[in-house]
Amino acid sequence: MNKKEFHEVWSKPVIKIGRTTLLLSVLLSFVPVLYLYFTHGIFPELSTALKAWGMIASIFGAMYFVEPISYYPTLGLAGTYMSFLSGNIGNCRLPAAAMALDVTETESGTPEAEIVSTLGISGSIVINIIGTTLCAFIGAAVIKILPDVVVSALSTYTAPAIFGAMFGSFAMKNPKLAVFGMGIPVGIRLVAPQTPAYIIIISAVFGTILISRLFYNAEKKKAAK
Amino acid sequence: MSQEVVKFANSAGAWITASFIVILVIMQAILYARHAFKTAEKINLDKKVCNKAFKVGMVTSIGPVIAIFIVMVGLMAVIGGPMAWMRLSIIGAAPTELTAAQVGAEAIGVEFGGADYDLYALSVSWWTMAANGIGWLLFVGLFASRLEPIREKVSGNDAAWLAVITVAATLGAFGYLTSQHIVAGGGTLISAIVGAVVMVALGIAMEKMPKLRVLKEYSLGISMLVGVIMAVLLS
Repeated sequence: MNKKEFHEVWSKPVIKIGRTTLLLSVLLSFVPVLYLYFTHGIFPELSTALKAWGMIASIFGAMYFVEPISYYPTLGLAGTYMSFLSGNIGNCRLPAAAMALDVTETESGTPEAEIVSTLGISGSIVINIIGTTLCAFIGAAVIKILPDVVVSALSTYTAPAIFGAMFGSFAMKNPKLAVFGMGIPVGIRLVAPQTPAYIIIISAVFGTILISRLFYNAEKKKAAK
Repeated sequence: MSQEVVKFANSAGAWITASFIVILVIMQAILYARHAFKTAEKINLDKKVCNKAFKVGMVTSIGPVIAIFIVMVGLMAVIGGPMAWMRLSIIGAAPTELTAAQVGAEAIGVEFGGADYDLYALSVSWWTMAANGIGWLLFVGLFASRLEPIREKVSGNDAAWLAVITVAATLGAFGYLTSQHIVAGGGTLISAIVGAVVMVALGIAMEKMPKLRVLKEYSLGISMLVGVIMAVLLS
């Protein structure tokens, strides 16, 4: 199957499913606010609604664009639609996609990789929803049983351990690039701690891609000689 | 927070309104998984590989989901069960949602969760969380399909270069995600370093001893656990 055929068979339905579900989710996001309106007649005044929206967008607005673009090369098309609906990208979706490729020994950038990472992400979403739904029912009871030290350790240290482990796993694939992948964001945070997050993420992702191009060209030249 | 607010935020109606989007998330995952299995047949990708990929995705997420579970209990106490359930089932992690809920209260000059945090303040908080989340949902819903042609153009049909781009972008992404914990120092720094070291050590061990490869799908869980334990012991 060539690229064009794969696009017809795979990507077109992926876009259709993605566009429909994501735009539907935009509408469903407001159902709770509307419920409050229909039961109690309470709804934010227009000026308040716009003010609050402006305030929150000034904090996260850049991320609306920067995150999808930055994570796209890793997540692929279906992965992007799934990950940005279900969230938990760094701690669940990216690791699930990467581990699915790794365990099945699928080469990234191939049609097979699209499918394998899509399935990995689907699996992670199923577990995620089971987790949050269980928590909704029995969360408070479970926390009461667990010792405080376990609760605080898991809530503080899980994210850095996962991020570090995933970084390590990719660093093995390309140690030279890993130096820059970590060096750029850590450097920025140390030198200019006030730098907004969206600038750090762009610099880390696209800076590392740019440097990989330099290495890639140099190796190609070497091979040509 | 007044009793009226707490009662409404945890009412049966609120649970039902929150459930729509949770169901949508599950439906989307099922639709994509089905599409992936169907396409795999067409390109002669072994069904065993597909099943394995799905299972690895599930296993890999157990650790992180336990952490989400714990964070969610905290969030439930502040924004109510239904909203915590809905917001943590879609885009926006707990700190993001908390920020939005708080900004909503600030917009009308009310202290979040304070005595004068009434149903009107609640409506502004809920509105703000929704308005924030749709930023990502709208952008991806409308423009994700335009990103693929860009990737193809940049990679110029060079498969080897595309693979390098993917690794470079992923290193940058996890470098960024890890960096704040590195700079923070203390326990988070320890857990990040130990997590990385254990993962690399497991990787090397599996290369040398193929028998160990059955453990591969658990390697992230193991690294995470060791990282968390060492952070508690050493910090």
